Amino acid sequence: MILLATNWSHVWMVTLLGFSLVFVLLVVLIYVLKLFGVIMRPRVKVEKPSEVHEAVGSPRTDTSESITLTGEATAAIAMALNLYYNGIHDDEGPKQVTIKKVERRYSPWNSKLYGMNNLHRF
Amino acid sequence: MKLVKYLFLALTLVFPFAVNADELIAADTVAGQQVIVEDDFAPDTEVAVVEDNVWTEVTDFFKTMGIVRVFDGKEDSGDWRQLLMLLISFFLLYLAIKKQYEPLLLLPIAFGMLLTNLPGAGMFHSELWSAFLDPDSPAYHSYGAILKEGGLLDVLYIGVKAGVYPCLIFIGVGAMTDFGPLIANPKSLLLGAAAQIGIFLTFLCANALGFTEAQAGSIGIIGGADGPTSIFLTSRLAPELLGPIAIAAYSYMALVPVIQPPIMRALTTKKERAIKMKQLRAVSKTEKIVFPIMVTTIVALILPDAAPLIGCLMLGNLMKECGVVDRLSKTAQNELMNIVVIFLGLSVGATATGASFLNLKTLMILAMGIVAFGCGSAGGVLLAKLMNVFSKEKINPLIGSAGVSAVPMAARVSQQVGQEENPGNFLLMHAMGPNVAGVIGSAVAAGLLLSFLG
Repeated sequence: MILLATNWSHVWMVTLLGFSLVFVLLVVLIYVLKLFGVIMRPRVKVEKPSEVHEAVGSPRTDTSESITLTGEATAAIAMALNLYYNGIHDDEGPKQVTIKKVERRYSPWNSKLYGMNNLHRF
Repeated sequence: MKLVKYLFLALTLVFPFAVNADELIAADTVAGQQVIVEDDFAPDTEVAVVEDNVWTEVTDFFKTMGIVRVFDGKEDSGDWRQLLMLLISFFLLYLAIKKQYEPLLLLPIAFGMLLTNLPGAGMFHSELWSAFLDPDSPAYHSYGAILKEGGLLDVLYIGVKAGVYPCLIFIGVGAMTDFGPLIANPKSLLLGAAAQIGIFLTFLCANALGFTEAQAGSIGIIGGADGPTSIFLTSRLAPELLGPIAIAAYSYMALVPVIQPPIMRALTTKKERAIKMKQLRAVSKTEKIVFPIMVTTIVALILPDAAPLIGCLMLGNLMKECGVVDRLSKTAQNELMNIVVIFLGLSVGATATGASFLNLKTLMILAMGIVAFGCGSAGGVLLAKLMNVFSKEKINPLIGSAGVSAVPMAARVSQQVGQEENPGNFLLMHAMGPNVAGVIGSAVAAGLLLSFLG
């Protein structure tokens, strides 16, 4: 009876149309985002070395090339820079900051000569 | 377990007293009257009257006690179902505190449930809200009547009824979400869309089980695994089911690490689970700023019913990404979010009264919720497999299951299951794409259901 009471044509319509529309709307967004990515992808301008040499002494022209850095390349460059700048600290020169030897200087405060236990000697 | 033992002990001690309370009160009242009758001709009549007044006060006080109300048999008082609901609220509090299942929401929900089921406390009046929805009632759509006659939880519930809290929470969610992985890999949106199949399949099932279409839509949205969206849609379509649906939605979200892995393993081969994906491209700040503006405009122009949820989500994200309103972004992520979570949790828990919660429908909703969730996860995985057939760049199908919202839990599950096969495989960022796409997808699905069934 419950099954008969339900307006199944409407239920199926909502199900199929609803799910299709979710897909359609998100597919529209995919294409918009792809277009968006093409337009706004971050680009780094690097001058070609050969052209840099040629440019010396001659009037400067726009010889730059547009390249796209991948994630791996960016990570590798960041790693190299990090190693370079942070690695400097390990090459300690004459002004060494690392304590390598602790000298034990004489102090009367821990001397056995002045300890209470030695009083019996007097 | 100790806590539960102590609670049982306390209730066992109090029950016999409560059962006999009426008889005691009646006996005391009669005794008081007898004193007056016997002492009618006594010189100190005033003393007897004072004594009678004292007894009346004591009797009245006993009658107002919640535990007495449970057993007085009156319709407007409590009944055994309220006590059972109190026990359920204790259990949920245990899950929130001890097991830490979504404690931020489960704790206020459970405490709201506790408050609303305290007999005589009068903090929430479901009859007022029934009158609010009844066109023949003088209080029909009258918030004034609620403010005048309602309790604390009634007043807080106005925010749910008006659809304010879920939208405010979405501002906070947006401010905490990074859409970068989605912008870098727009195909993720397809997985987010596929995971919404759970919503529509459950909508069909619920109709077959005798729920109305509006109720079925509200039950189906559990498959989106998005608490605020579930609450938003249910408060509009089937407010009478708000309690069970909110609890089902949040419980299953907490159980993502339990529900999803078996489905993911069953639908994929070892080789598929070990697929390594290409690293995502870098996304510029401009892209991140334009994205929320663009999505809001496109979605709202096509589907205006989804505008409140999507608009608020994207507003929060824009505040985070633009970098010029840092204070607003931090407020949305912390203070605003926390305050609204307290209000939302308490008022949603308040709707779980004994009469509305303890019935067969609730069990059916809980059962269908898990079906919705499972179908959604499976839908994402299967579409990812299908995409692998046509695409050159292979996708790890495990990221498909993250298409149900549950941010970021579902993405973490993809990462964990992926690393079981290949410890060097890092799927988290790839899974975040479908994960945030799922948030957009479920909000769109909610908007569609609202426009069809509202």
